[in-house]
Amino acid sequence: MSLSTSSDIVIQTRHLGKAYQLYAHRSDWLKQVMLGWWKSYFKPFWVLRDIDLQVMRGESIGILGRNGCGKSTLLQVICGMTLPSHGELRVTGRIAPVLALGSTFDVELSGRENVMIGGAVLGLKRSEVLRKFASIAEFAGIGDYMEQPVKHYSMGMRTRLAFSICAHVEAEILVVDEALAVGDAAFQRKCLDWIDDFRKTGTLLFVSHSMAEVRRLCTRAIWIEEGRIREQGDPSEVIRSYHRALLVEKDDVHRFSASG
Amino acid sequence: MPSVNVVNGKQIVVGNLGPAERAVDFLVKPFARMWNHRDLIQAILRREVSERYTGSVVGWVWAVIAPLLAITVYTFAFTTNLKLPVGDSTAGPRVDYALFIFSGIIVLNFFSEMAFRAPMLLHEYTHFIKQTIFPSDMLAVISTLRATLNTLISIAVMLVFQFTMRHSLPLTALLLPLIFIPFMAFLIGFSWFMCAIGAFTRDAGYLMINIVPLFMFATPVFYAQDTLPAPLNFWIYANALTGYVDVMRDIVLLAKLPDWRVYAWTLFTSVFTFYFGYWFFDRYRNVIVDVL
Repeated sequence: MSLSTSSDIVIQTRHLGKAYQLYAHRSDWLKQVMLGWWKSYFKPFWVLRDIDLQVMRGESIGILGRNGCGKSTLLQVICGMTLPSHGELRVTGRIAPVLALGSTFDVELSGRENVMIGGAVLGLKRSEVLRKFASIAEFAGIGDYMEQPVKHYSMGMRTRLAFSICAHVEAEILVVDEALAVGDAAFQRKCLDWIDDFRKTGTLLFVSHSMAEVRRLCTRAIWIEEGRIREQGDPSEVIRSYHRALLVEKDDVHRFSASG
Repeated sequence: MPSVNVVNGKQIVVGNLGPAERAVDFLVKPFARMWNHRDLIQAILRREVSERYTGSVVGWVWAVIAPLLAITVYTFAFTTNLKLPVGDSTAGPRVDYALFIFSGIIVLNFFSEMAFRAPMLLHEYTHFIKQTIFPSDMLAVISTLRATLNTLISIAVMLVFQFTMRHSLPLTALLLPLIFIPFMAFLIGFSWFMCAIGAFTRDAGYLMINIVPLFMFATPVFYAQDTLPAPLNFWIYANALTGYVDVMRDIVLLAKLPDWRVYAWTLFTSVFTFYFGYWFFDRYRNVIVDVL
């Protein structure tokens, strides 16, 4: 049951903004909790500002931007992990977040146990995970390591297993955040092929610093700078102007100082 | 269909509801969420239970040995020279007093396990809360369920001990779920409240470490609350644990129905704490994600 007028819009944001609360003193949060209705004790730090975005079903969107521009926060907000501070957000459909792959694993447990927990966290029923287990193991391709504690895994193996779990959630919206950078070339190709396949039915949001991937996978690119959308449209054009800007603007040391 | 709908930082879950529907929605919500996330609860509970005894050879046997050892020590520690707060029975006052203490300890241990853990609960699961779409309110439920398993083992040890010593169990012991389930609800609510506070500040953890041992004496574990002088024997019920200890002793050890006023009070503290905890957690859950 969707409230939006057109069922083809899966993600819609209007004037979306996200501010983190910066406190001058460690104890100020307490005042904020007790007296927040009266006055605010924090300095808002705006990570995202005025994001207007409409994503249609079946679109693949590549998100570009330099470190700390708010790309990841935008994805987190869309996934519903953290609420926006301002504006409207409407998401319709089951989301699979492929963010920070493998960081949710419990390193003491075996790969198999982590698949059971990871699947449940992503909303799969126990019976579904058991049914798909063979397929998950095959896609990950880590062989007998499946029964070993995750602490013995390499970074690449963790990524393989984590991506494999996400690939089996049957989501309608896939949100991928620079996830594939650690895998080897063969596995990256396997993932990209899988994502290619997924695009036929689902919607994709894709953050990457690899322009080749964005060009290959995405139908639209969005360039975010300092929390705002600077340019969006055809991937090749956005990439071109993004590159031009990177050449002109140096890597400024003071970029992360709070500006307001 | 799962969907997110947010306007100006407020999540819109239900549209226009009247006050009555809103109240019903609030009362049903925690249970509905537990039901919807039952597979997740099961998966994480499995992990937590097995994690507790990883690296040990006998594993679960420890969970039985600990209460067994405790009850044996109590039996021998309290000699007949003491003036005991329970009457004589066939098994002798020593056994009775050991059971008397042990039943109090069970309630207190359940409470202290939760109290020590709750402030750090969300910190333990930060990676889930920040990286995935994770129902963080279910963590309080999961940790209560894990503590429940240990408590049930202790209760079983107590009942077996009582049966071997007295050769009978009172029929009223069958009423145990009627006090145990409200106690679980009380602890879930308490956990929600404490873990929300604990997410903001580590002080909650230090506070618990200092306060919980005092409950050993502020709760009638070693004495009966009706042996206290006049105003105190009423005000001790302000410590909600007193009610649970009292009712449990009545039905398991003394084979009588609890005072209805005491039972009504325990039900009230249970329901109130459960919903207050949920309300508090729900109110700050979105802030919590950002401060963790």
